Amino acid sequence: MTRLLLRYRRVLVLPTALLLAFVLMTLQARSGSTVADFTRLILLTSISPFLRLTTKSFDITATLWNEYVDLRRASRDNQLLKEEVRQLRAEVSELHETTLEHSRLSQLFQMSNRVGTEAVVARVIGKDATNWFRTILIDRGADRGIQRHMAVVTAEGLVGRVVDVMARTARVQLITDSESAVGVLIQRSRVVGIAAGSLGGTTQIKYLPLMADVAVGDQIITSGMGGIFPKGIPVGRVVRSGRPTSGAMFQSTEAQPHANFSRLEEVMVLKRPPSSDLSWADREPLP
Amino acid sequence: MIAFLLALFSTCLLQAAIVPRLAIGGIQPDLFLILLFGLSLSAGPELAAAAGFLIGLYQDSLSGAPLGLNAFTLSLIGFLVSRLSRQVKTTDFLGRFALLCLAGLLSGLITLLLLRFFHAPRPLASALLWTALPGALYTAMLGTGLLAILKPQTTRGLIR
Repeated sequence: MTRLLLRYRRVLVLPTALLLAFVLMTLQARSGSTVADFTRLILLTSISPFLRLTTKSFDITATLWNEYVDLRRASRDNQLLKEEVRQLRAEVSELHETTLEHSRLSQLFQMSNRVGTEAVVARVIGKDATNWFRTILIDRGADRGIQRHMAVVTAEGLVGRVVDVMARTARVQLITDSESAVGVLIQRSRVVGIAAGSLGGTTQIKYLPLMADVAVGDQIITSGMGGIFPKGIPVGRVVRSGRPTSGAMFQSTEAQPHANFSRLEEVMVLKRPPSSDLSWADREPLP
Repeated sequence: MIAFLLALFSTCLLQAAIVPRLAIGGIQPDLFLILLFGLSLSAGPELAAAAGFLIGLYQDSLSGAPLGLNAFTLSLIGFLVSRLSRQVKTTDFLGRFALLCLAGLLSGLITLLLLRFFHAPRPLASALLWTALPGALYTAMLGTGLLAILKPQTTRGLIR
């Protein structure tokens, strides 16, 4: 029998396999078969640990991949948001700049109304290229009716006067220029003097009598004398006042201009002197 | 033999864990059939039948099918493919695709017939058209590609 089986083993393989499968199915079809259940149990037991491991590994890989994809997406979003923030910051900065400019121009117009004269707002487009003079270049000239000796102010106070006029630009001599001289008066004591610039960039108040009542902190305004600067424009305040001990006839007084000449952006050119009845003398200077 | 068992284990794992995610319209490829097909191209009919029996048993254990259903089917398929591979040219892409598709269809038909006999019967024509045929095509496409990558030599070495 064994010899017969061995002899026909090749032929018997398929029928045996089919028969076994058929028997297994038959056993299960009739009722619950212990043989089939046991076989299934063995097969599942042999594969289930690896199956669990594979599923776990696949899940971990899928999770890592999803996290990687999320990370890439977050990175892209981050770049986009950074770009958006940059643009928004630029816009905010621009708006802030516009607001500041609007505020400055508004103050200039307020001053124009107070002075009661026609005025032209101009942008500062250049500053003096040497250390010997204190002048600025503005973007309004003869085409806007600007002429020499017109007063130039900011919302804070006096800036200077127009000294050169071109077609579309004009040069303004600041009150800190060493060749500048402005008739001023001490607002509190009404003492008259001359505000003159110096090479060092400070403003000296000249020709104040020795006995004149001048104190540190006193406000200085234009006196209106000389016909160039309208009366009452704030110039600055006294920061140092002294009486020379020997031989001098006048006090030595130094003033700090209200206008910040290092940060001038817009100025206003007063096209004619104000009416004589309008006085700034009793008013506080603008902040 | 060890290589075959490793391939069988890997197929079990892939079929259970990965392949369901590749299902298109609920139809998934049959990696067990691809494994048997690759093996049958190089092995003798008897060995292919025995391998089909073992592969089928594992497939049955991993599915809700009655134990022996796929064992029966794959034994027969293994035997027939091995026999046919000696009669027809199976080295080119198209021939292999056609034979694998035929094996898939035959597998579906036998399974349906056995289910009709032993288990809950299913409508034969619609099951063949909407389940067996798409499954066979999907399996044939994937199997042909896989076998082209792995090369026939790889499958030939599985049982040695």
